Formats: sequence, C-alpha cells, structure tokens
Amino acid sequence: MELQANLAKIREQQLGLAAISYDSPAVLKNFAGRTGITFPLLSDTGSKVIREWGMLNENVAANTPQFGIPHPGTFILDGNGVVVSRFFESDFRERYTASEILVRQFGAAPGSPQTEMENRHLKLVNSASLAAAKWGQRIALVLDVDLKPGMHVYAPGVQGYIAVDWSMAESPAVKVHEATYPASQQINLPAIHETVPAYKGKFQIVRDVTIGTDAQVKPALNEKGELIIHGTFRYQACDDRTCYIPETLPLAWTVRYEGLDRQRAPAELQRKAPGK
Amino acid sequence: MRALAICLLFAASLARAADPGPAVGARTPDFDLADQNGQRQTRAGLSGPKGLMLVFFRSADW
Repeated sequence: MELQANLAKIREQQLGLAAISYDSPAVLKNFAGRTGITFPLLSDTGSKVIREWGMLNENVAANTPQFGIPHPGTFILDGNGVVVSRFFESDFRERYTASEILVRQFGAAPGSPQTEMENRHLKLVNSASLAAAKWGQRIALVLDVDLKPGMHVYAPGVQGYIAVDWSMAESPAVKVHEATYPASQQINLPAIHETVPAYKGKFQIVRDVTIGTDAQVKPALNEKGELIIHGTFRYQACDDRTCYIPETLPLAWTVRYEGLDRQRAPAELQRKAPGK
Repeated sequence: MRALAICLLFAASLARAADPGPAVGARTPDFDLADQNGQRQTRAGLSGPKGLMLVFFRSADW
C-alpha cells in the first residue's frame, strides 16, 4: 500500500494521515490487517461525511452495494481545515473495464487524464496518449498546466529564476525523449525593471516515451500488468508582488502493458498434420 | 452511432467527476468518525503540526 510505504515521508512533512471510506470498522480492521496499514482508516458508513464534503460518486446506481462510495481523491488540509491542495487521480482502470469493448473498437483510449493536482499556484493534469501500450510503441505524455490568475512561472532559458523543469525518473522499461516546451511570453516585471520569458494562464508540455522490449518491461510491471512511469515537475510561481517557494510536484503515469497476451506459438507449431 | 453516443455520455460523466469536493482555499466541515479500532477520530486529533492528509478511497472490501 503506497500510503503506508510513504508514511514516514508524510510524517516528515509534519502532516497527519488518515483515509476515509464507507466501510464498517470491522471491514477496515480486516483490510488494515491484510495490508499492514497502521494509520487511521475512518469509517463513514452511510457516507455522511462523504456527502457533506460533496465527494459522493453520483455516477453509481442507487440500488447497488457500491452506492455511497466517494470519488477517490486526496486533500491536504491546514490546521484550520482549509484545503491547501487537492490531488485527484482518475482511475482509468475502472474506466478501461467499463468501456473495454469501446476502447478496443476504437483502438486507443482518448488521452486519458491520469492525475489532477491543484494548489494555490496552479492546476496540473497529466495524461498519456494511450492508456494501454505495446512494446516498442512511442506514446506521448502530456502535462497541462493551468496557472491561477495573477501567477506566472518561468520558461526554460530564463536567467536568475527557477524555470519550469519536467524531469523523468530513470527506468529500464522506457526510453524517455526530450520534452517540448511551448513558446513563452515576454513579461515585464516592473519591480525590477526586467522583461523575462514566462508562462501565464494555460500551457502544455509534451514529451514522448518509447516502451521498451518485453525483456525490459516485464520486470518493471506491477501485479496488474501495469507500468508506472515517474517524473517530477519543478517550478517557481510568482505573482506581481511575491515569488513563492519553488515546488516539485510528483508525477506518475500508469500504462497498461499489452505485451503479455500477444505471445502466440508460431502457426507451424500449432497445427499438427493429421496422422502424425 | 450508438457507440459514439455511449462514448460521449461516458466522457461527459468523467468530466463531471473531475472536480468534486471542496476547492483549494475552502474550509472543510469537521468530522467525528470511528476508525478501524473503534476509536473516535476528529480532524484536530488526526492533524500534525502542519495539518492533515485525508485520502478518500472507494472501498476496503472490493
């Protein structure tokens, strides 16, 4: 369980950690036992808190046992209960299962948003051009940044400021290509009588990754047959009065690997001549 | 044609799901819930010096 594995890091940030679902305490206790979870799992049977927070998943039919589940998401709250940032991952596995036939017929999922992150400076959505990929395929990873009003960040090549930087973790399973940053605007900073290359409003960065061979990818897959590709997005946001502390946001793309069920014996081996 | 309609309907439901819950800067309601050990927990009790990370998840059962 990723949260349990990151518990020490979360405590280092001086944050508490708790998770909430509509399960009973007994179910949660069983789950904690099976997964080794030690942090509090909150039982919201009846989904009262889920509803109060506006998190009820209303796409689920009311007469099913699943009704009452929340949209999955994470909130960071300050000491007063005010939302500092929110982190939403759209679970494309759920989507893949629900619309599997559709996806197969169309050949590829439309750019499936993978993660949405929001804080005081920006909203960031990362997505991939394919939800499922085969070895050797080159797919596009996309970062869509939507800066909050008044905010700007600096473009690569800027002097004296921390420019946006999208880097990817080293992985034997994929070959990472250079990111393509969009054209920046020259913005005037009156306070220091300078004009600098920056981004405001919405912008998009794209980079390709090539999925490795079966031998390279298989050791990196999780038990669901998915490849998780990690990266970070570093930036420093400023408005016209202040520059905020530079941030490094973690990024992850989950790509279902399609190599595994393509192994077919050559036709010659499959057919046995009659009488042999 | 029907496949296209299903696809659009699905995409629309996904779009609505994109921004649920309180926005950045919003105050959230407090809570008082039992945890897996039957202990009552509130936001104040769960928070560290810098606050609380609260994860909404679908289910521990399925």
